[in-house]
Amino acid sequence: MARMLLLLWSLGPMLWQLYSSLRPNEALSGMGTGGWTLEHYRQLLQSDPPFLTTLLNSVVVGASSTALTLALAVPCAYALSRLGRRQARALTALVAAAAAFPAVLLFLALLELARDWHLANQLLALSLPYAGLCLPLAILLLTAAFADIPIELEEAALIEGMGLWQRLRWILLPLMAPAIASSGLLVFLFSWNEYPIALTWLSRSDLLTLAPAMARIAGSSVYTIPYGAFAAATVLGSAPLILLMLLFQRQIISGLTQGAIKG
Amino acid sequence: MRRWRLWLLMAPALALLLAIFAAPLMHYLWLSTQAQSVLTGLKPVPIGAQQWLRLWNDGRFWQDTWQTLRFSAASVSLEMLLGLAVALLLHQPLCGRSLLRTISLLPWALPTTVMALGWRWIFNDPYGPINQLLAVLGLGAMPFLSNPNITWLAAVGADTWKTTPFVALLLLAGLQTIPSDLYEAAALEGATAWQSLRRITLPLLTPYLLIAVLFRLAQALGVFDLIQVLTGGGPAGSTESLALYAYLNAMRFLDFGYSATLLLGSFAILLLLCGTAALVWRWSSRLQGELR
Repeated sequence: MARMLLLLWSLGPMLWQLYSSLRPNEALSGMGTGGWTLEHYRQLLQSDPPFLTTLLNSVVVGASSTALTLALAVPCAYALSRLGRRQARALTALVAAAAAFPAVLLFLALLELARDWHLANQLLALSLPYAGLCLPLAILLLTAAFADIPIELEEAALIEGMGLWQRLRWILLPLMAPAIASSGLLVFLFSWNEYPIALTWLSRSDLLTLAPAMARIAGSSVYTIPYGAFAAATVLGSAPLILLMLLFQRQIISGLTQGAIKG
Repeated sequence: MRRWRLWLLMAPALALLLAIFAAPLMHYLWLSTQAQSVLTGLKPVPIGAQQWLRLWNDGRFWQDTWQTLRFSAASVSLEMLLGLAVALLLHQPLCGRSLLRTISLLPWALPTTVMALGWRWIFNDPYGPINQLLAVLGLGAMPFLSNPNITWLAAVGADTWKTTPFVALLLLAGLQTIPSDLYEAAALEGATAWQSLRRITLPLLTPYLLIAVLFRLAQALGVFDLIQVLTGGGPAGSTESLALYAYLNAMRFLDFGYSATLLLGSFAILLLLCGTAALVWRWSSRLQGELR
């Protein structure tokens, strides 16, 4: 009973979007019953720029942000886990505070950054602020994972004469794979969903990522009813994420819960 | 390993963190003492504390503060209650539990702007499903998005739908750290389910509740995406949040100095509330420690 309620609560709104996206607009606004239609999807795919371009932009931004975040967070987390306790604790507290900070408050300064450094309307440049915003969570997750690796393992490798790079490459990174995967997924989710910075950095419509593109579709009026098209956009925009969640449920959930326990 | 090499490994990440978090706040401190708007030809002109006086006398700022606080208080408390209920449900051994966990987490994973658009259609008057249901039941339609007294509640509902799964997952992680023999011992002593929830679960869950409250409170006080797409701040400004007001000042009124002042003002409110929450928790846990 409670389970059904939870399912209905979680899936109901999404299923309603799916249903609406397959119905003609007349049926949605109560005029005529109408049958089923793929018209909304056809419109969306043929719109200018095509919706697929938007999705592709989001994939590019997501992938580059994830790569940059991990490249910075892995060494930082390693060092943080090997630092003396007092310094590590102070740094961790600061990083945790940054993890909870609402990113929207930074938009104005980041906008000026984009203007001064000519980073606006460049997809790859977006990974700079995104990596900055995701670093706190990634550092917390990875530091906790590094701390779980017994120090004896590394000492043994040190005695064998392995350098830092070799230890990382052959001993530590293989053990870190699950934690790296879950942090990477969370970063990708974040960049896929991020709105205020994408909104202010990107103005060319062929460069928009998903979140600002959706807001642009929404336009400004609350009362117009191209809702079939809205619903189709909602479905297409969520489908990749739902797929990602289903494929990597274990990594994402463990990443989130680890973040809570160790952070 | 030598200490300086550790710091060298951390340097790139720390530098980016400083550039993304610390530098903007410093920049706002300076910008809030400048007039930089259309009137000054978008050039910064020092004006001392005038922006802060303007903030103090700005009715719209105080109204948005009240609206943001109202939204945050309502949605965070709802999310904590529902999140606890969902976490308790997902903690029980049920068949298909891991699939249920994933499905219940889906709302959290979807982009806010995507589902905000979805909720606009769900709240539509009269064609949205809720109003159609009300019509079938013979009740009048609810003007969810056009009545200033109701619309903020619609925003609370949409926010609760999206973030309850996150809270539930955090609390579920906490529940999993409580050893089950505590419950078995309590059951042997004849404790009811309510008593063991009250005496075992809640006290041991407190750190997780606190983390969830602090994190959600900070995010809710900065609410922007949902409001901008769901209501645009309307009707009649009744759902405008502090972040949206700051955004409008910069992007629509091109008044950058005042926008920075508003952003700093929001940050101060955030610090004040989250700091108070953390302090209250520390005092109360210390007090409890002394009473024992």
